[in-house]
Amino acid sequence: MILKRISLIVYVLFAGLSVAAFAQKQDSAKVTRGAEMSLYAEDNENNCLVCHGKLVWSLTDTVSGTVRKQLMSEHNMVVPDLFYNSVHWSFSCLDCHSEGFKTFPHPLETRFETSWGCIDCHGYDPNYAQYRFEKIDADFQKSVHYTATDGLITCWKCHDPHYYNPLARQTTGGREYILRSNEMCLRCHGNSDVMRLINDENVSIVLPKHDWLPNVERHMEAVRCIDCHTRMNDSVLIAHEVMPADSAVMGCADCHSQNSILMGTLYKYAAKESRDEKGFINGVMLRNDSYVIGANRSKFISFTGLLLIGMTIAVALVHTFFRIMIKPKRTAHE
Amino acid sequence: MSKNFYHYPVWVRLWHLANAVLCLFLIVTGFSMLYSDPENALVVNFQRAVSIHNVCGVLLTISYTAFLFGNIFTDNGRHYLISLQGLVERLWKQLRFYAFGYFRGEEAPFPVNGERKFNPLQQISYVGVMYFALPMLFITGWALMFPEFILKRFLGFSGIFLTDQFHVILGFLVVVFLFIHLYVSTIGRSPLSNFRSIVTGWQESH
Repeated sequence: MILKRISLIVYVLFAGLSVAAFAQKQDSAKVTRGAEMSLYAEDNENNCLVCHGKLVWSLTDTVSGTVRKQLMSEHNMVVPDLFYNSVHWSFSCLDCHSEGFKTFPHPLETRFETSWGCIDCHGYDPNYAQYRFEKIDADFQKSVHYTATDGLITCWKCHDPHYYNPLARQTTGGREYILRSNEMCLRCHGNSDVMRLINDENVSIVLPKHDWLPNVERHMEAVRCIDCHTRMNDSVLIAHEVMPADSAVMGCADCHSQNSILMGTLYKYAAKESRDEKGFINGVMLRNDSYVIGANRSKFISFTGLLLIGMTIAVALVHTFFRIMIKPKRTAHE
Repeated sequence: MSKNFYHYPVWVRLWHLANAVLCLFLIVTGFSMLYSDPENALVVNFQRAVSIHNVCGVLLTISYTAFLFGNIFTDNGRHYLISLQGLVERLWKQLRFYAFGYFRGEEAPFPVNGERKFNPLQQISYVGVMYFALPMLFITGWALMFPEFILKRFLGFSGIFLTDQFHVILGFLVVVFLFIHLYVSTIGRSPLSNFRSIVTGWQESH
């Protein structure tokens, strides 16, 4: 009897405690960012951002006192608000840019400055181990972005370090995430002027090349460029091995089949991102956008399952029929 | 003359209630997900079905763990220990009773008594469901919530596809079990007596 009481108490306590434990919000603490938090904000704003932080900057002739206003090229501009909300908000400009930039006009050698890559700071650092920068870097070095451009393309071309935030954290997921991911590619591949940096002769923008796709627009809205143009790799969240254009996925069944690697990789990615972002309760249990209707449906199993249930019910009905028909005998027995 | 036996202590009844309610929700939402399409939400909206299914799955895992502890630490567990000796004959005897003997007015071959709560067919199906199907459903269900642990490819198939199919097949088996369980429960001293037992805790021999 005591054992039974104890087991009842254990049951109730265990169930209660487990629910309470699961209910704890699992979101990691958000870092408060902003110019007021950065130790270098004043220094940045009084120096580099005087010109590079504004659309219009002024140049003063120290002899005549003449002031000339000039437009800052968008490629050389850093929007302070966006910078202070990026993951690199706490940096001084000169942490990454060379001392040469301290003088104005900037000396010629600053034009040939080598940019730091992500791996230079984040590689082999246990704090960033979960992002697998080493694997990303290895994949990137195999990608056509690296091999076919003589190193012209670096991490920066797609991931501007001044504004970098993991994309999934900036968007509400789904279509918005896909749109932002594709914008990253189209910044170059949708702009023939930028593409001239790589290839003078064969400059073409990318979208017309997708005319072969049925429902082009729907594909563009629902699929990331990298889903077809990278070698799928489910050990890193985002595949970085961009393949040459002629190696892209072009078979309908590669995606539109229940048993595709792409489907599995996307599912894994979406589920993990959602969990990391919103925690297990909100990101997986309550709102899990990674499930896709029919993604893993097998018509054979769905049909066989129903058939099996139907047969079970039929047997029960036949048994019930005989129970009703042979009732007198049962009554006599009881 | 029938005898009454106290076979369902409070914790078993509480667990059975939680198990039944959660399984019903899981089955309804599971069916809804399996057969719905974007234009036609079979029972509930797809996204809501996913949420309800996940919440009930997690709660069922908790309730199951409590059941497991209960079976380990109380003597309820002994009813789930199957003696292999003569098992086939005992199963056949019980099956024969349901198919023929029952209609001929024969005595039940394994009547409920102080020591015995389940007949051999019940025993093997309960063990199959509680110690095989449900744990496998939990493993595959949780794996689908933590898919990074699932193999990328297995025997030429996508690991997620296989995990999902296994989950669905086991789900169907549990539904089949539920129908049989409910129907066989009506074969008692009266059609409702077994249902009364799981509410009051007292079971009549028949």
